[in-house]
Amino acid sequence: MGEKRFMKGNEAIAEAAVRAGCRFFAGYPITPQNEIPEYLSRRLPEVGGAYVQGESEVASVNMVYGAAAMGTRSMTSSSGPGISLKAEGISYLAAAMLPAVIVNISRGGPGLGSIQPAQSDYLQATKALGHGGFHAMVFAPNSAQEAADIMYAAWDYAERDRNPVLVLMDGCLGNIMEAVDLPPMREIKPEDAPEWSLSRRNGRDYQGNITPIYTEPILEGINAMAGEMYKAWEEDDVKVEEFMVEDAEYIIVAYGIASRVSKEAVLNLREKGFKVGLIRPITLYPFPKKSIRNLDYDRVKGIIDIEMTIPAQMREDIELQVMGRCPVYEYGRSGGCLLDDDGVYDAIYEIITGGDR
Amino acid sequence: MKQSFVFSGSGGQGIMSAGITLAHTAIDMGKHATYLPEYGPEQRGGSAKCTVVINDAPIVSPLPTRCDNLIVMNEQAYRKFGEDVKPGGVLLINSSRIPAPETRDDVTVIAAPVDDIALELGSPRIANTVLLGILIGATEIVAKETLALSLEDKFKEKKPEILEMNIKALDRGIAIGAQHKLKV
Repeated sequence: MGEKRFMKGNEAIAEAAVRAGCRFFAGYPITPQNEIPEYLSRRLPEVGGAYVQGESEVASVNMVYGAAAMGTRSMTSSSGPGISLKAEGISYLAAAMLPAVIVNISRGGPGLGSIQPAQSDYLQATKALGHGGFHAMVFAPNSAQEAADIMYAAWDYAERDRNPVLVLMDGCLGNIMEAVDLPPMREIKPEDAPEWSLSRRNGRDYQGNITPIYTEPILEGINAMAGEMYKAWEEDDVKVEEFMVEDAEYIIVAYGIASRVSKEAVLNLREKGFKVGLIRPITLYPFPKKSIRNLDYDRVKGIIDIEMTIPAQMREDIELQVMGRCPVYEYGRSGGCLLDDDGVYDAIYEIITGGDR
Repeated sequence: MKQSFVFSGSGGQGIMSAGITLAHTAIDMGKHATYLPEYGPEQRGGSAKCTVVINDAPIVSPLPTRCDNLIVMNEQAYRKFGEDVKPGGVLLINSSRIPAPETRDDVTVIAAPVDDIALELGSPRIANTVLLGILIGATEIVAKETLALSLEDKFKEKKPEILEMNIKALDRGIAIGAQHKLKV
């Protein structure tokens, strides 16, 4: 690896983006993700990139559309309320088959919600990032290190699929400082731009090459192609961490910050002799269906969905795989109140010793 | 061994900076550390709190419910978080601003007038370095030499007097903390 730095999750995202070859950022300020634009406003010009603070979220995401069409590795970042405003533009990116990386450092919701951290955007991220029934791959890192690693790979997925990629992380992980091993700087030359991009084309050759508008039979074909792509993701791209699941009678499913507090609880409950395990989706879309579907339900007595949001949003995806074979419980905090070690331990303890929740 | 620290007070007291310096120093020593800030939207005068977790192994959860070491820099933070220290832990109180803390016999209470000490050494802005000194004097969670190097790095762009003053603050703090030395 490259070099070790003590940095915020948000800064790790920004630096890893630069090292992945990102050379264009446009965004509009919102807590708790401001360290990303702040960092990039200084860093991108150093590497010949461009940073724009747009006049709005809508303008920013459309600037990303333009830069991505040129084949430049491009990104924007925001938090829930700003992602809502960008939804139209993200849908257009998907329609025009443009690769870009969108980062959501989530906070309390709905509406303006709270500037404090919360995992309130699972459903938005995985089900309807915009209108029109498209999906983006959704990655949910649980540390500053993993955030850097995921950002470093994000454009590879986006360019492979010609589709936007979403990185979803809550404000807690955005602001936490941890040691990060940074990956080496990738040199992306102009001639490395994707073959379809406008920068590779001359004169009139590019007319109509990139468009979010299709006639009906073509649009149906585009939709079908996207459908095939989503199926392929389920086969090839699911990322999941399974921890102490082999003999577990109760399985916690948690992502992002909730997975770290949950893992601590698993370790403490194991010390007390309780057979508890953790399934941590790293990709929220594609969801790690098989990890839950293929559990041995003669052994597993319950699944506990722990999220820093109320009500739990991942629960339906879990239930679709459990198919009624065991009860599904949930525990969460929300509105900017954080999960904590004792709260999560007690909630799990109560559930597995016969309480109901 | 895992140790958690909560620094609390108001914006401008160097709370966040103390937390970052401690965590950074631990990492420089080859340990693992997380630093999590919590603050209101205000730049100054609002409440400030940060949580630092240090361990020899990677940190699993950065969100302990109660901490091993609680540092309170003002009355408001003391009233809000005073109970959040685990039995057997350390409660470090800025007695310049919290004149009459309740006594607790299940934790080690260290009360020191860090604001007054900082003023005496030359600036109210080094109160947080006095605090760090007391903490490492009492707990030996990080080495003085490594912390001094962190401070050197932090103040390298500033006038040399500032670093000098901080080192003095650190030494004074360590001397106070050493009187309450704990086994960690």
